Amino acid sequence: MNVKSIINNHHFTLINNETNLDNKINKLFASDLMSHVMGFAETEDCLVTVLNNINVLGVASLLDFTGVIFSHGVKVNDSIIQKANELDIPLIQTKLTTVEVINELHKLGE
Amino acid sequence: MESTITTYNIERNDIGNAGTVASLTKRALKRQGLSREFVKTVTIGVYEAEINVVIHSYGGEVTVEKADDYIEIIFKDVGPGIESIENAMTEGWSTASKYAIENGFGAGMGLPNIKAVSDEMDLHSSKEGTTLRIRFYITEDCYER
Ligand SMILES: Nc1ncnc2c1ncn2[C@@H]1O[C@H](COP(=O)(O)OP(=O)(O)OP(=O)(O)O)[C@@H](O)[C@H]1O
Ligand SMILES: [Mg+2]
Repeated sequence: MNVKSIINNHHFTLINNETNLDNKINKLFASDLMSHVMGFAETEDCLVTVLNNINVLGVASLLDFTGVIFSHGVKVNDSIIQKANELDIPLIQTKLTTVEVINELHKLGE
Repeated sequence: MESTITTYNIERNDIGNAGTVASLTKRALKRQGLSREFVKTVTIGVYEAEINVVIHSYGGEVTVEKADDYIEIIFKDVGPGIESIENAMTEGWSTASKYAIENGFGAGMGLPNIKAVSDEMDLHSSKEGTTLRIRFYITEDCYER
C-alpha cells in the first residue's frame, strides 16, 4: 500500500502537494495521543488521527511517517498544510471515521 | 575522543516550536551515520522530554552532549517541579492542562517512554525545578551498515 493507492479510493482526498505518493506504507497506525504514537508507531507508518494540530506533523516527521490521514472530516488549517509541504509529508482527508478508514484500507491489503 | 556540546532554550507553552531540539538532534545524528533505529530511539526520548518542559514547566534549557560512545541530554527547567516522581513515572498518570490535552498530550506515557528507550535516566525535582538526564550508549552496532 502507498499513498497513491489510498487516494485512488474516492473516500480519500490528498490536500497538499503531490510528493512521496509512491513510498511504501509500513502499516496504518491510529491514535490521537502523541505519546502513544511516539511509543508504539514504527518508521514509515501512516498515521490515522482526528488530531488536527501542528504537533502531529512534528511527530510524523520525527518518525519518518509515509503520510497522515485526518479522519472524521476534521478541518486541517493552512499552517498544517504548509508545514507538510515543507516536510514533504502527504496529507489525506476523509469523512470516514477512524474505524471505517481501517476497514476501507484493509481491502487494499499490503 | 571527541565531544560536542550544544545548548537550547525551551519556552513555556511554545507548542508551535516543540520538537525542535528532537528534530535538530535527529538530523545531527543521521549526518554522523548513525542507524535509523538508533536515531529513532534517541529522537523519541528527546521529544518526550522536550514536550514535558514545554507543557509542564515554566521553561528551561537543554544540553546535548555527543561523545564517541554516548549521547547525553540534560533537561533543566525552573519549576514548578514534580510532586511525586513515583506517580510521574507511572503509565497513564498525568496532570496535563486542558491546553496540553487539546494538543494531543497528556496520556501519561512520556516518562515511561523515555525510560523504555534510554540506557540511563535520572529524574530529580523540587519546587525550584526539574532535571532530567538521559544517556544513550553508542556502540558499533548503532551505525548504519
Ligand atoms: N518538566 C516537568 N515539570 C513538571 N512536571 C513534570 C515535568 N515532566 C513531567 N512532569 C509531570 O509528570 C507527569 C507525567 O509525565 P509524562 O510525560 O509521563 O506524561 P504527560 O506529559 O502528562 O503525558 P504524555 O507525555 O503522555 O503526553 C506529568 O503529567 C507532570 O505532572
Ligand atoms: Mg509527557
